[in-house]
Amino acid sequence: MRVLSLELRSVFVAALAAVSAVVMMAGAASAQSGGAVTGTIEPGIWIDPDGCMHWVADGGVEGYMTGRVNPENGMPICMEMNTCAVANTDTLFATDSSRLTSAGRAHLEQFFSSAGAFAYAIYGHTDSRASDEYNMGLSQRRAASVAVVARSVGARVAREIGYGERRPRVPNTSAANMQQNRRVEIVCYR
Amino acid sequence: MTSVLKPMKLTAVLASALVLAGCVESIEGVSPTNDPAPVRAIGQDRGRDAGSLTQLEAGIWVDPDGCQHWIVDDGLEGYIDARRDPVTGLPVCTPIAPPGSIVGDAGSGAAGIRDWVPNRR
Repeated sequence: MRVLSLELRSVFVAALAAVSAVVMMAGAASAQSGGAVTGTIEPGIWIDPDGCMHWVADGGVEGYMTGRVNPENGMPICMEMNTCAVANTDTLFATDSSRLTSAGRAHLEQFFSSAGAFAYAIYGHTDSRASDEYNMGLSQRRAASVAVVARSVGARVAREIGYGERRPRVPNTSAANMQQNRRVEIVCYR
Repeated sequence: MTSVLKPMKLTAVLASALVLAGCVESIEGVSPTNDPAPVRAIGQDRGRDAGSLTQLEAGIWVDPDGCQHWIVDDGLEGYIDARRDPVTGLPVCTPIAPPGSIVGDAGSGAAGIRDWVPNRR
């Protein structure tokens, strides 16, 4: 808990830095576009219960809010608060297989029986060995295998998606990194 | 008949608008400005229910398509924004309640101002 609050604090500091960067950029942009600046908004950051950030500003009588996204890929910017589980696939499956090991199945059954969320999103990922197409198929089959276990204990599966090697957690530059990328992520929709 | 009523109504509307404006100033910590480019909004609520906006409590509103939005009723202000999966950015559309429903505490109870809702006929 203490670790989390420390993380929160550093994120806030980063967020504040980002706010001032945005304000500065806005000034630079107005100088280029020539459109008259008719006001400014100095937003705060609100973090939703999933850990994702939103720009929020109180205009006195009105309120404004919009999701903060990564400018490069449009993804929401979130702290890791709600990734319920990240399972390394080495422990769940044999190499190149989407058949669960008995230990892996038992682990998942225990997880889905006790996590207590309304629904779950299940995302499969691989490292960058083998072809992109093969990895898309493998990760999809693995996500599906995990989803079958979830449903078998009465959990609701909101989505099961294989992303192959397209969303690495870290660059595939070493054996250790590749192992981190071989994973099944489970998001809890509480 | 209507020609008599209309000016009266207008006066009443103007008067209540003025009262409301004064009320808003004292409750919400705002004031008129002649600045052509003022700071129009800030990351803090300086009104009666003052506080940092990072502390907002959200409920969930289910839109007519079944997708979820964070909703916060902070007294005079309201905030709403889409709920997105933290890992993939996809919308969250699990059927927690019928479309149109608000689930959980959207925060109006702690907003410092009694919540007013639209008149229904």
